[in-house]
Amino acid sequence: MSTTRKRVYGYLAEFKSASALYKAAEKVRDAGFRKWDCHSPYPIHGLDGAMGLKRSILPFFVFFGGCTGLATGFFLAYITQVRIYPTVVQAKPANIFTVPAFFPPMFELTILFSGFTVLFGLLALMKLPRLNHPLFASRQFHRTTDDAFFIAIEARDPKFSPDGTRSLLEEIGGSNIELIEEED
Amino acid sequence: MASHFVTSADIPANGERLQNATVSKVKMIAGGLCAILSVVSLFLLFGPNEGWAATYAYSWLFALFFFFTLAVGGCFWTLLHNVSNSGWGTSVRRIMENLGSVYPWMFLFAIPLLCPAVQQYLYEWMTIHREGLSQDNVGLFDGFMAGFYGSDSLQGWLNDNHHALLANKLWYMNLFAWYTRFIFYFVGLTLVIRGLRKLSVEQDSDPNPGTVRLFKARFHSTYTLIIFAITITFAAFDWLMGLDYKWFSTMWGVYIFAGTALNSMAVIIITATLLQSAGYMKKVLTPEHFHIKGKLLLAFTIFWAYVTFSQFFLIWYANITEETSYFLIRNTGGWNTGMIFLVFGHFVVPFVILLQAWLKKNPKLLSLVAVYTLVMHVVDHYLISIPERSISLMNILPDKFGHVTTAVPGAFWGDVLAFVTVGAGFVFFYLRALGANNLYPNRDPRLLESANVSN
Repeated sequence: MSTTRKRVYGYLAEFKSASALYKAAEKVRDAGFRKWDCHSPYPIHGLDGAMGLKRSILPFFVFFGGCTGLATGFFLAYITQVRIYPTVVQAKPANIFTVPAFFPPMFELTILFSGFTVLFGLLALMKLPRLNHPLFASRQFHRTTDDAFFIAIEARDPKFSPDGTRSLLEEIGGSNIELIEEED
Repeated sequence: MASHFVTSADIPANGERLQNATVSKVKMIAGGLCAILSVVSLFLLFGPNEGWAATYAYSWLFALFFFFTLAVGGCFWTLLHNVSNSGWGTSVRRIMENLGSVYPWMFLFAIPLLCPAVQQYLYEWMTIHREGLSQDNVGLFDGFMAGFYGSDSLQGWLNDNHHALLANKLWYMNLFAWYTRFIFYFVGLTLVIRGLRKLSVEQDSDPNPGTVRLFKARFHSTYTLIIFAITITFAAFDWLMGLDYKWFSTMWGVYIFAGTALNSMAVIIITATLLQSAGYMKKVLTPEHFHIKGKLLLAFTIFWAYVTFSQFFLIWYANITEETSYFLIRNTGGWNTGMIFLVFGHFVVPFVILLQAWLKKNPKLLSLVAVYTLVMHVVDHYLISIPERSISLMNILPDKFGHVTTAVPGAFWGDVLAFVTVGAGFVFFYLRALGANNLYPNRDPRLLESANVSN
């Protein structure tokens, strides 16, 4: 008998098809669950709506990331080309009216900073990277990259109850319902 | 937006037709207005007053090209929709086709450009060529390909009379080739858009609709997209860039195309919103469609800014006399205010507004942005065509316009008149096309895919 303590992660239930998953997700959403997720081998259009997910705040971050890049590009060019070391090219003056020459670096840095904000913002919002996930303990869960559709409801959800959640998953058409445990 | 799944039971088997008293009234008013003002315009263009004819020629070109871009844009979106095999836009495809089907009628408004009486004020090079051709021993056809690439005797005459630049450009800028291209623009794209619209409309009443017409339209849209590209690029070269024969810009075709695609999408958005608020297309048009169209509007706002800046940047940096003349004229006096206004009004403001996703899903708000974009397109095209007027007329008619500075006083009202004339005609032919057939391809196999689109 093992002596390690186990903690319940949640329930995992399999669904037959993408549309079954979609309809089940709507019911889980309406039951008021918050800490749960759908797993599918491919993206399903409209599933975020069916899950009741709010719009990500990432675009908001990216806008300001882009603005920072734009300002960085401008000041980088302006301070070096006009303030510190004025460079006269083709009889063009070195002042604020030379700004067209700064547009390419401003544009590029806007893109670069937006891209970085997307990448690192996404990783932060998804709490990645992480080494392991409790769901990987399930044998059947490996099929989620192949041909299976799953809903996992976490135990830390306030609506979670060992019997109630299990019967809900059965009710909405889930099969192979499994209690996932993680090592404490 | 997954609240309701549209099935074939929700869509009327015979489609929806535009049957609205207000629409037919607007159509009648627009048609009448166009007819009356066309007579006035003809009087101004060909009448006894030389000053009016000279200034109004530019007004007409401005108005013509503005609405020309919108109609060509309708052809572009139809072609692009077919060739990209898009499913999302099936329910708005008929609007694109209807906008494109205005294109053949633009020929009526382009006819004045064919007349030497109008050309003499717009295109200085034609006047010089005609002067050369009126000499003995100078012919139109005595050259390679029957004079299509310019005649040898005319080249000799131009060289002898110190028109070296025109002699150099003779292979492109010569009357025979110009008229040939003019006819090609209208014949080519007219055949394309009429053919595609016919394929689409025939399906509406076919009891056994299939995918045959879809594949056919897709195939024929591939190579005809080239006809579109040639038309918009070279029409912009011939009609707008030719205003100053010394000037050239390699970005010109792309620049005009960017405004074309952007603003025809704005027209499509406004039409879709108006139709839906009048009670049509309730089942097939969803906020998702407006979201996609808003995204395209944003994309082409950025594209327009990118191309416009690229053109300015290349010319500003290279500092070549033959290129900078364009911006020298437009960065003088009040025109400069307009050009700087364009940077913020045509790019910065709509860019920041259109970044919002919730706004793009609201048809009314998106239409407001679309109307705003169209207004900016008017400013854009005003600044393309009109600043050339005072400069050219000072040289062509020094007795009348010698004292004029950056703008011809009073000529603005002619611009408004020409704009209303061509605009009324555009509205008339557009409404006529919208009412002629179903508002969406009701028997298209991809209609349900489009009605349930999600992005």
